[in-house]
Amino acid sequence: MDYGLKPLGREKLWLWIMLTPTLIGLVFGAFGSILATLGLSFMNWDLLTPPTWAGPSNYLHLFTNAAYFKALTNTFTFSAMYVPGVVIASLLVAVLMNRKIRGVSIFRTIYFLPAVTSAVATALIWNLIYGRDTGILNFILSRFGLPGVCWLCTKNAMVSVVVVNIWGAVGEGMIIFLAGLTAIPREYYEAATIDGASELQRFFSITLPLVTPSIFFQTLISTINAFQAYDYIYMMTRQGGGDSSIPVVVFSIYRNAWNFFNYGGASAQAIELAVLVIILMAFYFWLERRYVVYE
Amino acid sequence: MKTRLLVLAVLVSLVLTACGGAGGAPAAATAPVSNPPSAASTQPAAAAAPVQITYMEWGDPAELDVWKAIVSDFEAANPDIKVDVQVSDWDSYWTKLKTLLAANTPPDVFAMDAPLFLDYKTRGVLLDLQPYIDKNPGMLDGLYPNTLAAYQAPDGYFGLPRDFQTIVVFYNKDMFDKAGVPYPKSDWTYDDLRATAKALTKDTNGDGTIDQFGYVIDPWDFEPGMSEIIWAYGGDLISADHTKTLLGDPKARQAFQFLHDMMFIDKSIPDPNTTSQYGGDLFLSGNAAMIAMGHWAVPSYSQAGFRWDVVEMPKGPAGQATSVNSAGFVVGKDSKHPEQAFAFIKFVESAAGQTRLAQMGFACPVLKSVAESDAFLKQTTPINQQIFLDSLAFAHMKPVFRGYDEWSSTVGDGLTPMWNGEAELGPTLDTIVSSADEILAKNH
Repeated sequence: MDYGLKPLGREKLWLWIMLTPTLIGLVFGAFGSILATLGLSFMNWDLLTPPTWAGPSNYLHLFTNAAYFKALTNTFTFSAMYVPGVVIASLLVAVLMNRKIRGVSIFRTIYFLPAVTSAVATALIWNLIYGRDTGILNFILSRFGLPGVCWLCTKNAMVSVVVVNIWGAVGEGMIIFLAGLTAIPREYYEAATIDGASELQRFFSITLPLVTPSIFFQTLISTINAFQAYDYIYMMTRQGGGDSSIPVVVFSIYRNAWNFFNYGGASAQAIELAVLVIILMAFYFWLERRYVVYE
Repeated sequence: MKTRLLVLAVLVSLVLTACGGAGGAPAAATAPVSNPPSAASTQPAAAAAPVQITYMEWGDPAELDVWKAIVSDFEAANPDIKVDVQVSDWDSYWTKLKTLLAANTPPDVFAMDAPLFLDYKTRGVLLDLQPYIDKNPGMLDGLYPNTLAAYQAPDGYFGLPRDFQTIVVFYNKDMFDKAGVPYPKSDWTYDDLRATAKALTKDTNGDGTIDQFGYVIDPWDFEPGMSEIIWAYGGDLISADHTKTLLGDPKARQAFQFLHDMMFIDKSIPDPNTTSQYGGDLFLSGNAAMIAMGHWAVPSYSQAGFRWDVVEMPKGPAGQATSVNSAGFVVGKDSKHPEQAFAFIKFVESAAGQTRLAQMGFACPVLKSVAESDAFLKQTTPINQQIFLDSLAFAHMKPVFRGYDEWSSTVGDGLTPMWNGEAELGPTLDTIVSSADEILAKNH
């Protein structure tokens, strides 16, 4: 498992000097908040009166809280569709973008655009696309004589929202995979071609195994993003009164903390979400040791 | 090896979750630091240095100019006090306020919405204003009593109303004229409303989809549209002692059934999925003939490209009813400058302050003499402002109780599937009542 270069002598000093600003930020910013959240998850706190000890009651309440269960179910359903969707779609796009075609950088820019565009603005545009009576998508369907679909009604909203989230994430995934793809030595393909391998065979026998480190990394990042997804989902499914027709865990955390005077409960939800992500990550690292090919 | 793996996994995910978190919940992560009141609190003999107080409120950016004018009038009359006004949008306001309260650096004076008042009062973060009111006898005499009631706790006033909102029906005159339908009258009934709405519901471009609706309500928030009809049918939202949700009682059910029939039989009220396609406000976009709304919409509706006016909410079997709600002022309990804070409130409640507020056009003045003067009645938008005042005669107070936000969210969320046509009315109300009562029990 030990690979790569090791810093020597004076390099070690510089390594620490360079890392210091980030480490300070992490220690006082991220880890401080994490510890505070952990502490508050065992308290009753409404932000206005001093916190009181609650023991594990915030966690126990999560088991009987129907609204939280609904949010957790939504988060898992969303992740189950989103993660494979992003990994497969961005790998395909990266393979397409990894050829010598005219204007490839323009295409790459177009695929990356959603990543640098305001999520709120794009979600509003998608609302125009998905509209039931006035939407562009249903207009196109009607041109082909197909009936309109209520894309954002409760029964279809999950799939509609997953599609938008995948669309928004393909650009970044593509960058990761392009880096992985360009690292594969050309000779492998040349040798395979001489042996008469078809394009499909070359993809499954050379590209796919050698790009597994990128697949691993992209799956990990997508999973974390999926568990934190909030902006597109909320903007596309929000209802009056601050509700969302697809409440996810992050939405539930926000609402409990800031609208319902329940900061302790919100902290417990955040910790539980983190623990679930940690368990998944441990599983991923276990998979990595078995299936990921490092040259 | 195994432990190293686990530690690595924990670290990677914690760091990544923490980094991403900042982007996830926008307003929550960044606690805005405003001038803490202590900045100017080095009070000793230096009498020349004016005291700085902070006033924070939610509102439209356009409101800031009016508040600056009020503040400069106030500062001219009180040269020893300076007021720093901070305006945020509704959502960020409450997040910001709670963060400041949690950090023990609340603004001296801040805006309150009456229904949420008890959530703050019962948590002991508000200053008792009664002693200051007692020092100013007669100060409350000219204010509308139903706006004062919201801020009166058994142990005195912990806030004072600033302006109020009654709900009325706004109607698009051009749309009525075009269809040859007479304008609604002050003594109309819900049956009249239903017939009028039906006559004005149309498919104007003939594509088979209705694109002009008769009437619009807010299907989540009870204030514009739902509470009025429940009261007009003789029902109520919650019991007087705030322990029981009454939305499942027979009279409330009749009221819901009426709106349900308008939406699903007449199709004269648009369902939420339709509303969202029109940017949320069908009246403003010219796709609805009538809407139940408060005075806050007047400035934006004034920009609409059609003629409109307002009329009282209709009569039901139990008479005419509407909702009154007020925004008010409260003072942080540990404010270092309570005297100055109260002086500012007193100024805004005075004729001079109320006149400026009236001209802002977002709400009705709580000072009767100003509300009945030309400052309010003769504003640039040529509508019958008097209707908002006349509605007070039959107005019920928008409920004020601890846990209001969670209660109204639970009820609003619970109604969503029903308004979307995915659930039956009866069972929906049964479920709502039991989950809403749990919240009342928790907060009582």
